[in-house]
Amino acid sequence: MDFNSFKQYVIKAAQDLGITEYELYYQTSESTDVDIFKHEVNEFSSSMDGGVCFRCLVNGRMGYASTEELSAEQAESLVKRAYENASVLENDDREFLVEDGQEYEPLNITPYELPTTESLIQTALAGQEALYAADPAVIDGTSCSAGSVKRTIAIFNSKGLDLSYENNIAIFAAEAVVSNGKEMSNDYSVKTGSFLELDVKEQAAKAVSGALAKLDAEVAPTDSYPVVFSPKAVASLLGTYSGIFSAQNAQKGLSMLKGKEGEMIAAPIVTLVDDPFYPDSAMPIPFDAEGSPAHKKNVIENGRLNTLLYNLKTAAIAGRQTTGNASKISYTSAVCIRPFTMYLAGGEFTEDELLQKAGNGVYINFLGGLHAGANVISGDFSLQSAGFLIENGVKTKAVKSFTVAGNFYQLLNQITAIGKDVELPNARGITSFGAPSILVEGLSIAGK
Amino acid sequence: MISKEICQRVLTKAVSTGADYAEIFAEHSMNHSISMIENKVETIQDAVIAGAGIRVYKGLRSVMATTIDTTEEGLLRCAGKAAEALSQGRAEISICLKERLYGDIHPVRIVPSSVSNAEKIAVLKEGYFAARQYSDSIRQVTGSLLDVDHNILIATSEGLYAQDRQIRTRLSISAVAEKNGETQTGSCSPGRRMGMEMFESEVDAKAVGIKAAEQAVTMAGAGYCPAGIMPVAIGNGFGGVIFHEACGHSLEASSVAYGCSQFAGKLGQQIANPKVTAIDDGTIPNAWGSINIDDEGTPARKNVLIEKGILKSYMIDKFNGRRMGMPSTGNARRQSYSFTTTSRMTNTYIAEGTDRNEDIISSIEYGLFAKQMGGGSVNPTTGEFNFAVNEGYLIRNGRICEPVRGASLVGKGSDVIMNIDMVGTDLEMGQGMCGSSSGSIPTNVGQPLIRVSSITVGGRS
Repeated sequence: MDFNSFKQYVIKAAQDLGITEYELYYQTSESTDVDIFKHEVNEFSSSMDGGVCFRCLVNGRMGYASTEELSAEQAESLVKRAYENASVLENDDREFLVEDGQEYEPLNITPYELPTTESLIQTALAGQEALYAADPAVIDGTSCSAGSVKRTIAIFNSKGLDLSYENNIAIFAAEAVVSNGKEMSNDYSVKTGSFLELDVKEQAAKAVSGALAKLDAEVAPTDSYPVVFSPKAVASLLGTYSGIFSAQNAQKGLSMLKGKEGEMIAAPIVTLVDDPFYPDSAMPIPFDAEGSPAHKKNVIENGRLNTLLYNLKTAAIAGRQTTGNASKISYTSAVCIRPFTMYLAGGEFTEDELLQKAGNGVYINFLGGLHAGANVISGDFSLQSAGFLIENGVKTKAVKSFTVAGNFYQLLNQITAIGKDVELPNARGITSFGAPSILVEGLSIAGK
Repeated sequence: MISKEICQRVLTKAVSTGADYAEIFAEHSMNHSISMIENKVETIQDAVIAGAGIRVYKGLRSVMATTIDTTEEGLLRCAGKAAEALSQGRAEISICLKERLYGDIHPVRIVPSSVSNAEKIAVLKEGYFAARQYSDSIRQVTGSLLDVDHNILIATSEGLYAQDRQIRTRLSISAVAEKNGETQTGSCSPGRRMGMEMFESEVDAKAVGIKAAEQAVTMAGAGYCPAGIMPVAIGNGFGGVIFHEACGHSLEASSVAYGCSQFAGKLGQQIANPKVTAIDDGTIPNAWGSINIDDEGTPARKNVLIEKGILKSYMIDKFNGRRMGMPSTGNARRQSYSFTTTSRMTNTYIAEGTDRNEDIISSIEYGLFAKQMGGGSVNPTTGEFNFAVNEGYLIRNGRICEPVRGASLVGKGSDVIMNIDMVGTDLEMGQGMCGSSSGSIPTNVGQPLIRVSSITVGGRS
């Protein structure tokens, strides 16, 4: 059964139960992936998944239920489950469904054609050959993959809202494994977007040089240093801590930014932007998970917290307008708040200039275990890192197996210089993070 | 679920272009989760997950296709897609399915979907308010009660037709404490492969809340952990995450088969300290990571991975086993039909040793006692890992002293398992969700108290 027929059964089931305010959220994706090992296709997969989430207001409370089975029987059960779930909730905050008639920014994006299976295979094979050709130290275990995803999102509600959006992305990933006879090391490069702009040699070279740099790496000596973080490292840190900008977390006491709007929370050179239409966004989308229009905003402007991110409910509590940041982790989840494409705005320096300013310190281009080593409530982090020593203003020896420790809230104030090299690494879904290189004073490094 | 006859027709279609093996994995699951925050029931997630994945192999090549349409037409279309992508010739095998009855070694008495929301909420509140009322410095508590009813069916061209029902229940409480403007967190999340009877026999909801709150309050008062290389005693239960990350992932066929493992080609060799015996056992009755059959239909087993420091076995699924020339060890797992199965852990632990706990602590002149570990991650190719220490204490002159916060442990798996030089006797399991290429799956980690003679502790100052 297709979504539109299923919708009719849901409307009927809601009517039968006397539910007048409800929403149906639909998400599907079709993806194809090719994975190369040695010089042949190792795995090929083609998947189709997705489902619908129904939510409804019962006595002012929002009940949810979802399913992947689009059948008449499930439509009835779905509505009934959501109704029953709503009846035991205790939260008294007012819940809203978005009204119809919103204005959405037009997307100026050329529809992008999905690569064919044959082109995925050829691209991945070409990438694999480029990896092997890049350096004699490249060994088996090296792999390359290419894939494509077509996503559809639709929202329909009892107030007349009826939105849908379709988006295609292609993904290329190269993993180089290198060996010097004693030790192995590896690194990745990932590129999303159109294959027309993809240079497989450039991506392969990036992965191989990253892996080679880590061979024979030393352990950094324990001390406090100025640290230059690469764009990728800053983006991963920002991604981990982006929840502190959620009004929901602030209102529940899970972010220390509660009550800080309008105050300085970062160094004056820091501007943090959330832009659903940023040119490199993997999936620009004109509306949020509640159906409110998406738009660009400065979250931090010159060090000042301009606004938290809101959805309809948290905006009503704060007496503000939604910022259009309602989101869903998966289609089955309750609405939460997340940015679209959040990035730290670029500054005035080149990477070389940042290294010069650091003088003697550490350059970090890898942070690991962020889900564990970063406490999103306290802001404390202690993270596995890799990179280079900075000696007399230039990168020298490769270093790894050390940790960098600090506190994210403090780090926002410890940024002393910002690069102009903004990148958006690993942009894959609706939410992605970007940053330039930054120089941070006085972080603790634990190594040898 | 899908009948034997339909499976047979779908498998026949799947092998029609020359595959030497085909498999249907069909799933119908119900996931239910109730969450609380600010003393109130905030939201309920209630999802039906249903679909099928069809895989075909030819030699070392694998093709998978998935669908949410599990009617015969939908499955045949999906099988056709897989067969077309493989396209290596004509059908070479004929299929005759025989139902296998592996029994159920993880009986469930109270099926969670038969229990009302109100009864579940009562249990959740017991844990929630125990944390909330623990101390005045508790600022916020979040809690959830999750239950999963995961029904799977596997049919293969080798004639296997088997089903399993995997029911799991988990209570999670997290607390935030504040002292002098500094906030810290604590959490406790026990789970079992059982139903709501878990709260009668195995888990005291109140104790879960108290444990989470206690940890938050302790850590809120703590100073930063010092940085450097030192001996570390790692507590039992979730402390076993160290073996899971530092070693376990590198013993999975998904790394070993491709040479991307620090332990590839090392069977029979000494890779760990002779004090270390490590086991992966999917058959422990009602344990969080237990299964009757794996997601390729192979019955779960107890596999000794390392015996007294000698590498005895890898964890292997059928597809990667082909490349290694080794049979499956019952470790094939996937989050759902939409992920490609690969080799994963079940309940993985360091077996009990002979050292007394007090001797382990008193042997350390200056070091860290990592009482409660958080999560971690590893690069299986190089073995470089990291873990967070959620609750740590300094050890001075053989005695446990003040708590320290913000610590992490980093190193290389092959080094750290050589450095586990004392193993205690209080083996316990801890529950986690392990994320990897085949999705997020429930796994137990475990160990008794151990000593790592030397490891890098990431901290400040």
